Amino acid sequence: MFHRRRATMAAFLLPAIVIYGVFMLYPLARGVYLSMTDSLGGPIANFVGTEQYRAMADDPKVTSALWHTVLYAAVVVVSQNALGLLFASLLFRRPKVRKGLSVVLLTPTLVSPVMAAFIWSYLFAPEGGINALLGVFGLDSLQHVWLGDTSTALYAVAAVNVWMFAGYSCAIFLAGYMSVPTELLDAAAVDGASGWQRFRSVEWPMLAPALTVNVTLSLIGSLKVFEFPLVLTNGGPAGATDTLTMLVYRNVFGGGKFAFGIAVSVLLLVTVVVLSSATSSLLRLRERRI
Amino acid sequence: MISTLWRRTSGTLGTVLLCLGTLTFVLPFLFTVVTSLRTAADVARSPLGFPHSLTLHNFTEAFGQIHYGRSALNTLLITGLSCLSITVIGSLASYPLARITQNWSTWVYRLFILGTSVPIFVVVAPLYLLMRDLNLLDSYAGVVIIYTAINLPVAVFFYTSFVRSIPVDLEEAAALDGCGAFRTFFVIILPLLRPITSTLLTFVALQVWNDLLVPLVFLQDPDKRTVMVNAYSFIDPHTVQPTTLFPAALLGVLPLLLIFVFLQRHVVAGMSAGAVKS
Repeated sequence: MFHRRRATMAAFLLPAIVIYGVFMLYPLARGVYLSMTDSLGGPIANFVGTEQYRAMADDPKVTSALWHTVLYAAVVVVSQNALGLLFASLLFRRPKVRKGLSVVLLTPTLVSPVMAAFIWSYLFAPEGGINALLGVFGLDSLQHVWLGDTSTALYAVAAVNVWMFAGYSCAIFLAGYMSVPTELLDAAAVDGASGWQRFRSVEWPMLAPALTVNVTLSLIGSLKVFEFPLVLTNGGPAGATDTLTMLVYRNVFGGGKFAFGIAVSVLLLVTVVVLSSATSSLLRLRERRI
Repeated sequence: MISTLWRRTSGTLGTVLLCLGTLTFVLPFLFTVVTSLRTAADVARSPLGFPHSLTLHNFTEAFGQIHYGRSALNTLLITGLSCLSITVIGSLASYPLARITQNWSTWVYRLFILGTSVPIFVVVAPLYLLMRDLNLLDSYAGVVIIYTAINLPVAVFFYTSFVRSIPVDLEEAAALDGCGAFRTFFVIILPLLRPITSTLLTFVALQVWNDLLVPLVFLQDPDKRTVMVNAYSFIDPHTVQPTTLFPAALLGVLPLLLIFVFLQRHVVAGMSAGAVKS
C-alpha cells in the first residue's frame, strides 16, 4: 500500500519537472552550447569552440562592461546596506515609530524599476529636480549633468538602486535586531556601555546572519541590474553605464551577434555564481567565528 | 538630573532626525504626486514651487498614451495566471520532495534550488528560440510558462521547507484509513499551506507585475503588451516633460500601492521572504 502511495506522490512532481526541465534547464544547457557556435539565431549553428570567448576577451566593451557591473554592485551593496543598517539601528531604539517608519521606507521597493527610472530621470535631468533644489539653497556650484557625465553616471544610476532597496535592507536588519536577546542589551546598558560600544560589541556580531542575507541578496540583485541603465542612460554616456546585461540584450536582440551575446550571458552567470558563492561562504565562515 | 534631561532631548532629537531622514526617502514620491497634478506650464515656471492649480489632465493624457486600460488588463491577466500556476505546480511538487527521503528526491530538490541563482538573462536567448519553435511567441501562455519556470525554484523552496515542518502523524492516520495520496494532499496538506501561499504570492505578483524583460522580448503584439512595456516604448524620459512622465509612473505603481495598503502585513512578510532567494 505504501509503495503505491509513494508512486502517486512522485507523480505530483511531474508538472514541475517538465516545466522546469524544458523551460529552464534545457535553455541553460543549450545556451552554453550555443555560446560555442556561430549561431545567428537561425537554423544554422556551426561549432566554433572557444572563438566567441576569445573575441569577448579582446573586446574592450566586454571588459569595461564587466568592470562597470562589478563596480556598480560594490557601490550598491555597500551603500544600500550601510543606509539600511543605519535606519534599522535608529528604528530599533525607538519602538514607537518603528513599525510605521519601516513600512514607509519599504514603499520604494514596490515601485517597478521602470517607473523608478522615470521618476529619477527627471530628478537627475539638467533642469530637473535635484539641480533646482541645489539652486534654491544657493549651491549652484554643485549643479551637475548627473546622467550625462561619464564620471557620475554610473553612481547616479546606483543611487536609484539604493533608494529603491535601502528600506528592504532595513527591514531585514530590523528582523535581525528582533532576534537579539533583550537580556544581552540590558546587561550592556547596565554595565554603562555607550551607544556606540553597545552597537560595536553586542549588536553588530548578533546581526551577522542578517548581514549575510542582505549582502548576498543585494549582490545578486545588483549584478543582474538591467532596467535602471536601460531606461536612465541606455548604457551611455560613451558606454559609461554599459553593464553585462545591457550587452547581452543588445547583442542578442539587436546586434546580429547572437552567439556572442550568449557568450556574454555565460560570463554573467559565472560572475554571479563566483562572486555570490564566494561572499556568502566568507560571511557564513564569519558567522561561525563570532 | 542634567544627564537625564540631556538624554531625553537627544532622544527626541534623534526621533525627529529619523523622521526627517525617512521623509527624504519618500520625498521623490511626494514630489511625483504633486507634480503630476500640476499643469505643464506651472511646472516649467518653477519646478519646486507650490502648485497654483490642480488638474487631472496629465493623468488622462498618460492613460491614453500607454493604453492603460488594455495594458493594465493584460498585465493583470498575466500576473494572475502566473500566480495560479506557480502555486499549484509548486505546492504539488513540494509534497513528495518533503516527504520522500531518498537519494533521487534530494537530487531533484537540489536541482530546483540551483535555479534560484540563474539570472533570466542567461536563458533568455535560447528560451526565445525555444518559444519560437513551439509557436509560443506572442502568446499569454508562453509568458505564463516562462514566469512559472523562473519562479518554481522559489516556490519549491518555500513549500518544501514549510511541508517539512508539518508533523506526519495526520497523514499516517489518513493512510491507515485508506485515504490515498491525492486526497491526503488536498484535504490535509493544502489547507495548511494558506499562510505561506499568501507570502509567496505577494513576492511573485510583485515580480511579474513589475517585470520588463520577459514581456518586452516575448510579447510583440501591441494588443498583448503590458504596462511596463508600453511605458518603456511610448515614453522617452529624456525628451518628455515630468507632467507626462510622473502620471505614467504613478499609473504603473497604482495597483500595487492599493494592494500594499490593504494587505500590508502580507506584503512586508512576502518581501522579507524574498530573503531566502539567495
